[in-house]
Amino acid sequence: MNANRSTSPLADGNSSISISETDVSCRVPLFVLFVSAAIWLFLASVFGLMASVKFHDPNFLSNTAFLTYGRVHPVATNALLYGFGIQAGLGVALWILARLGNTRVAQPLVIAIGGSLWNLGVLVGIFEIFLGNSTGFEALEMPGYAAVFLFLGYLLIGICAATTLHSRRERRLESPQWFFLAALFWFAWIYSTAMLLLGGTPVRGITQAIVAWWFSANLQNVWLVFVGLAASFYFIPLLMNRKLHSQYLALLTFWTLILFASWSGIPNSAPVPAWIPAVSTVATVLTIITVLAVIVNVYKTVGYGCSQTSNPPSGKFFAFGIAAFVVAWLMNIAAAIPDINSVLHFTWFTTAQWHLNVYGFFSLTMLGAIYYIVPLVTGMEWPFVKWVRAHYWLAAIGTIVLVLPMAIGGVIQGTKLSNPQVSFIETAKGMLPFLKASSVGELFILLGHLLLLINIIALSVRYHKKHFVPVYEAATAELKPSEAKS
Amino acid sequence: MSSPTHQSVSNTPGSPEPGARGATVPVWLIVLMVLLLYWGGIYFDENGGWFNKQVYAPYKSIAEVEAYQPVRGGIDLSHGKALFESNCALCHGVDGMGKPGQAPPLAGSEWAQGNPAHMIRIPLYGLTGTITVKGNTYTGLTMAAMGATYSPSDLAAVLSYIRSSWGNKASPITAAQVEAVKKEVGNRTVPWTPEELNALK
Amino acid sequence: MNYGPLIFLAAFLGLSASWFGFVLTPQVQIGREQQATNTVNTAEMYPQALPGLANQGLEVYRENGCVYCHSQQVRQNGTAVNVLLSDAGTNATAVVEALLKANVGVTNADEVNVSGAPKILLRDTTVERAKAAVTALNGAGAKASVELQPLGPDIARGWGTRRTVAADYLYEHTVFPGSQRVGPDLANVALRLPDGNWQLRHLYSPAAEVSGSPMPAYKFLFEERKLEPGQRASGDAILLNASGEFFDPAKNNGPAVSEIIPKPEAKALVAYLLSRRAETPLFVAPMTPPPAANNSSATNTPAATAATGSTNAPAK
Repeated sequence: MNANRSTSPLADGNSSISISETDVSCRVPLFVLFVSAAIWLFLASVFGLMASVKFHDPNFLSNTAFLTYGRVHPVATNALLYGFGIQAGLGVALWILARLGNTRVAQPLVIAIGGSLWNLGVLVGIFEIFLGNSTGFEALEMPGYAAVFLFLGYLLIGICAATTLHSRRERRLESPQWFFLAALFWFAWIYSTAMLLLGGTPVRGITQAIVAWWFSANLQNVWLVFVGLAASFYFIPLLMNRKLHSQYLALLTFWTLILFASWSGIPNSAPVPAWIPAVSTVATVLTIITVLAVIVNVYKTVGYGCSQTSNPPSGKFFAFGIAAFVVAWLMNIAAAIPDINSVLHFTWFTTAQWHLNVYGFFSLTMLGAIYYIVPLVTGMEWPFVKWVRAHYWLAAIGTIVLVLPMAIGGVIQGTKLSNPQVSFIETAKGMLPFLKASSVGELFILLGHLLLLINIIALSVRYHKKHFVPVYEAATAELKPSEAKS
Repeated sequence: MSSPTHQSVSNTPGSPEPGARGATVPVWLIVLMVLLLYWGGIYFDENGGWFNKQVYAPYKSIAEVEAYQPVRGGIDLSHGKALFESNCALCHGVDGMGKPGQAPPLAGSEWAQGNPAHMIRIPLYGLTGTITVKGNTYTGLTMAAMGATYSPSDLAAVLSYIRSSWGNKASPITAAQVEAVKKEVGNRTVPWTPEELNALK
Repeated sequence: MNYGPLIFLAAFLGLSASWFGFVLTPQVQIGREQQATNTVNTAEMYPQALPGLANQGLEVYRENGCVYCHSQQVRQNGTAVNVLLSDAGTNATAVVEALLKANVGVTNADEVNVSGAPKILLRDTTVERAKAAVTALNGAGAKASVELQPLGPDIARGWGTRRTVAADYLYEHTVFPGSQRVGPDLANVALRLPDGNWQLRHLYSPAAEVSGSPMPAYKFLFEERKLEPGQRASGDAILLNASGEFFDPAKNNGPAVSEIIPKPEAKALVAYLLSRRAETPLFVAPMTPPPAANNSSATNTPAATAATGSTNAPAK
């Protein structure tokens, strides 16, 4: 095993640690985060499929209050965003921060406790949405008491991640570290702001909606993008055995995200003074610079002689993730242009964009990272290695089958909605074939998540057998003779 | 710790961490950003209403919003209400019920709903003497010429507000009527008495 | 190269800029708005706080996630300025001449026909021309006024009379502007569908009221009870016949065999829906109210309805 890192300027044997020491230090916290993330991801797709089926049959499971569409749908999005997205993102961030810093992850047990608190928060939050205690703000439905657990859990993990970064042995900071640092701090800020201004001491009238739009844009267009791109900028060069093309382009991506993407997300039609949507439109259009910087950076990185890649299956997840990022953001920018927005806003097109950004880009990137990281930190290979490739194809095809009909249907729906001659009910009926196709996509995605869930549980069982059963048997072996005597 | 048994999923665990090369940002990207920022400035200037909280799309500036306000051909009761509450309500009450020893009520008053020509004269020149309102007699009260400095349209607004509020249902008074009374009476410095008003045609 | 703290500080400043812009500034600017008199000549205060039952209905709307399918925002992409002639006066020639002289884009006397008032004399002109025309017409003895008509597909669909603005949401917690129109916009549903009983029937079985509606039924907001022959139905119940259709005496599709009694949640939700109206002309959203709206109270308080007025509990 390659113990010392020749690239580190401080690699003198004393201050440097082996990579496997880094990985081992991550074992307990990442196990907590990734297994729970996989469970939430599976649940998210179950409820996502259920919500999707309700469109072909409006009365499917509609007779009980807690399974009505208006509760199942936010459960699915919250399980995806908070149960899987942020949790997996934090796990990946911890591992990359430890790896790039050539250090052990700080306070693994505190992280595990933080992860447990986070999961408790998500559990309480989801339960409360089912009971009808959602806040009513999109992407922020989990009520205040769940938010307390979430926030505390996040703080514990976030502080450990910042400590990991601080205690790094490799002093040079790479682009993923900037992204993670900004993301770690930013979620704490936006989440506390949103919960205080919408739940604690609520602001009046439409300013609530402005805060909610700001929060959800900063979660989905800034936080997820920071973490997703950081993972891509780490893994794509790693898997290709080369360096990222340009740290300056990464820096440009970083700054344009901070300065422009954080202002995006307020729709043109919002019932607020004109300057707010005008600023938001300009900021969203300017994120084209972010997209172009990412395209150039990734293309130039991958473009240097593709032959020598080892190409593990998790690589495909990152490739799909970046492609989805580009398409999702071009959709987002197009939909921000006033003339296009007046047609596409309030349609399934925006939902398609959401899925492509949150699932196609962010979640697939995280899945690739999980498939890569878990064998390293547990020291064990996936029990069903072939399923990783199968999951990729299910997820990739599922995403396309989910998003493409929705986007096309959304454009048609928007065109019909802008024509007052077409009756509303005709427009609504016209969407059904597209939504049925999307349900097939949801089903593919669900099957993929089932593969991940079985894989990660089987791995846990094997790990248990390998590491704990011998210890247990050794302990009981000493007892048995004494039992026999008595 | 043992490394993974085979490497089909993960890369070599011992591979060095990926760094970044120092390639420069392409010039066209910077040029494009500057152009877009320039466009953004123009777009905001045209559509942003310069942070004015009263400009909503599709209006583009506060001047445009003001130009689109309905022409106030008629009487502006909300303006009348504001004037009433800041000047008249002190004695007559916000509810128009008057105050004992200070002013008779306006709500339900036959004077307030009576001949416009009489009513206009009261705030313009004042009122004194003994007056009977809703069956009650008020003596020794004097009202100053509270409305003498009002523009005709302001006075019309206040009087119309009185005539249409608290259950009063009389026709509104127009600025033209106020001007006509001013012309007719000319320079008068003493307040009217109820008898004088009743003597008018 | 250790600029970790520097990156942190810069990211902090950059990101918090959006907080200042989109959280703090709107709060300072419109977060403290008060109820105010509007621009119509009624001296009514706008907006009015939601009545208690409608406020309970808001919670039902929130609990069941109605916001995921229904928006409550009306969009407006322009305002048409028309000149409305309500009375041509006695001297039609003088009126036409005054209009020609006013330089409002009318150059030929044959283009104008002042007979048949009230009518729209000039359509979709500019504000300046409309005001000049009105001055000229009124000067010539006619009675004319400027008519402002908000435009856009939402308004053409009858989803509102003007765009929605911040004032329309002032007293609501939670606000539901929505992001998706799986179902129609509800910002003015009280104007469009003011019948509380229709709203109840629609909640119980959307497809029975709107053929092909993809809206799920909200049967859990109702209680079903069998009716014995000859038994009197509860006051606010919906009646069903043997085949599960709504019993309608006009259609004579009876007899009614069961009754559907709305739970308090259903009544509250309907009260909330019937409070959804934002048609008062405001300074920020100028318009000429349609003639009928001039007399009725132009507030967002709901009219009392049969469905929400009665509070009798279901019979045992």
